[in-house]
Amino acid sequence: MDTSLLQFLSGIIFLSILFQHLTKKNFSAVIAYGIQSLAIAIMLFDSFLKTNDNSLLCIFLIVLIVKVILAPTFFIKLIQKHKLTFSASTVLNVSLTLICLGTLTAVAHSQKFLPLTNIVPEHHSFLSLSFAAIFISLFLIINRKGALSQTLGILSLENCIVAFSIFAGLEQFPALQIGIIVNIAIWILIATIFISMIYKHFGTLDITSIKSLKD
Amino acid sequence: MEIIIIIVSLITASLISVLAKRRGIIEFFSVIASLVALFESCIVISKVLSQGVYSPFILFSVDSLGAIVLLIICIVYFASIVYSIQYLRQETAKNIIGLTRARQYFALLNIFLLAMILAIVANNPIFAWITIEATTLSTAFLISFYNKPSAMEAAWKYLIINSTGLLLGFFGTLLYFTALQGKPIFATWDILFSNALLLDPIIAKIAFIFVLIGYGTKVGFAPMHTWLPDAHSKAPAPVSALLSGVLLNVAFITILRFKFITDAAVGVEFAQKLLIIFGLLSIIIASFIIFTQKNYKRLLAYSSIENMGIVALGFGFGGLGVLAAILHMIYHAFAKSALFLSAGNIFLKYGSTKIINIKGVLKTIPATGVLFLIGFFAIIGMPPFGIFLTKLFIFSAGIASHPIITITVIILMAILFIGFLKHISVMFFGEKPADMIKEKENIWLVAPPTVLLALILFLSFYQPHFLQELINNVILKYEF
Repeated sequence: MDTSLLQFLSGIIFLSILFQHLTKKNFSAVIAYGIQSLAIAIMLFDSFLKTNDNSLLCIFLIVLIVKVILAPTFFIKLIQKHKLTFSASTVLNVSLTLICLGTLTAVAHSQKFLPLTNIVPEHHSFLSLSFAAIFISLFLIINRKGALSQTLGILSLENCIVAFSIFAGLEQFPALQIGIIVNIAIWILIATIFISMIYKHFGTLDITSIKSLKD
Repeated sequence: MEIIIIIVSLITASLISVLAKRRGIIEFFSVIASLVALFESCIVISKVLSQGVYSPFILFSVDSLGAIVLLIICIVYFASIVYSIQYLRQETAKNIIGLTRARQYFALLNIFLLAMILAIVANNPIFAWITIEATTLSTAFLISFYNKPSAMEAAWKYLIINSTGLLLGFFGTLLYFTALQGKPIFATWDILFSNALLLDPIIAKIAFIFVLIGYGTKVGFAPMHTWLPDAHSKAPAPVSALLSGVLLNVAFITILRFKFITDAAVGVEFAQKLLIIFGLLSIIIASFIIFTQKNYKRLLAYSSIENMGIVALGFGFGGLGVLAAILHMIYHAFAKSALFLSAGNIFLKYGSTKIINIKGVLKTIPATGVLFLIGFFAIIGMPPFGIFLTKLFIFSAGIASHPIITITVIILMAILFIGFLKHISVMFFGEKPADMIKEKENIWLVAPPTVLLALILFLSFYQPHFLQELINNVILKYEF
């Protein structure tokens, strides 16, 4: 793939997670997730074109159907059904969140992780960016209070790991491909069943309002 | 063939649980499936003993370590299934659950066992990761089984923390694949090990950190332990027994397999240091939090965190500590499962898991009271129970190389004992509530924990030859 296109796609993935951190609307966070998944799908399709590996085509199709189309549609329907227009606030305020994001990005780009981001030397900057994206999507899960946002955080973390594996040239391992498919299946199942169950029980998806365990 | 038989019998039992209309049929097939699993695991062990590593297909491989854990899983599972039948019947009689929930319970429990067995016999790290992820999914529904807000919250917490952890574990696993030459269709544990020297040492270290954090979340290492007390306290008692007694070991074994590869790449010290750090942290947190506990199932859950910390210390110290850690895993699995099953009897009688509501257990349900106390003495490491010796061996392995850590842990053990005893004495030795009458205890609720405790007592005095051989093989193979 053209380096500039790869740069564009890795930038899209990173920025979409930054956006998920800053947006206050669930709808925008879901759209950002859809765009992020589309970037992953394009990268997988490119990998298929390069290698002619049919299993990669299969993964591309699954990612396209499930992560780009079905999952965002499901989340949007959930938002409309439960009127979850606004996401719950973050644990840290915007300024502190931005400081943490900056620190995590700097840590991911530090010399300490150089061997990791140099697995494929020509992809060094992409690997650094996707490694930083792993950190900040992990922070998204911790920093967000909404169950929907946390689910999006986990799905984004998974996208970042897939992006890292593509840049590191690991996406052709069949076992890894199966791992990606299984994780998608499990999380879509969790999202469909558990989020609705949580809303049914608590009338909210704000996990800070759920304090039944404090007995 | 044995593994296929186990898989088929458990899937059949799950399907029957979903499709059958009569409770008796569901229970019968679940017991049969657990017996088949136990029987076939014994055959697998005999093959491991004769062949070293039993690998009937490329997908599956069982070494001595896997064989030990496989046997533990099947024994605890059989006890839990037998116990579950009467436990659920009593809950149905009290209108806590209906037949539909009971059907879901047995279906999920059989899937849970299947996932654990596959995680142990998986010959590939990604396959192992998938099956451990499957245990998360099946147990999440079992934790939220009572459909109460607190159970739902515990299940959500469990899902979020474990899934995040496992994704980090997946990332760590990916990093080990960077050493592979070519793109093998099925990268087995052995292939990863044989390519370990090609792994960049820094990448190997980063990969192991991710794996330790990832699977360590499932083991319940502090500070990733926060899901464990909630999940274990909200799940039905037999599920808590399986979560605490065996699932933690399954995740631990996965860490050990990665440790084996990491040791080959960077030497043993790195992984040992990390295990000591996580082990110590887990013991510190469990020791102090146990004092403030208000729920007896959470008390047992924190005890599991402490015991996993001790096992980590054993592997971290190396030498004699490794032998003790393997034995500690076995003893802990049986003792903790027996304790959770006994806790289930207390819950059935008192209808509460809060320590403040439980008084005079020895007078209301004396058999359970005695069993719980024996379990308590076993888990805390009182002689003649084997945990006394395993702790002693681990401390003696650590005292020369890590004296400050070892002395700190000994002090923490004393604190933990006091904290545990404080709660237990309130529950067991007080006067029973006036409205609480003494009833004859159901044999099927008392027999499973009795058998498990008898087993730990037996193994404390005598280890069968096959077990000794398996443990020796583990120590030889892993070259700790």
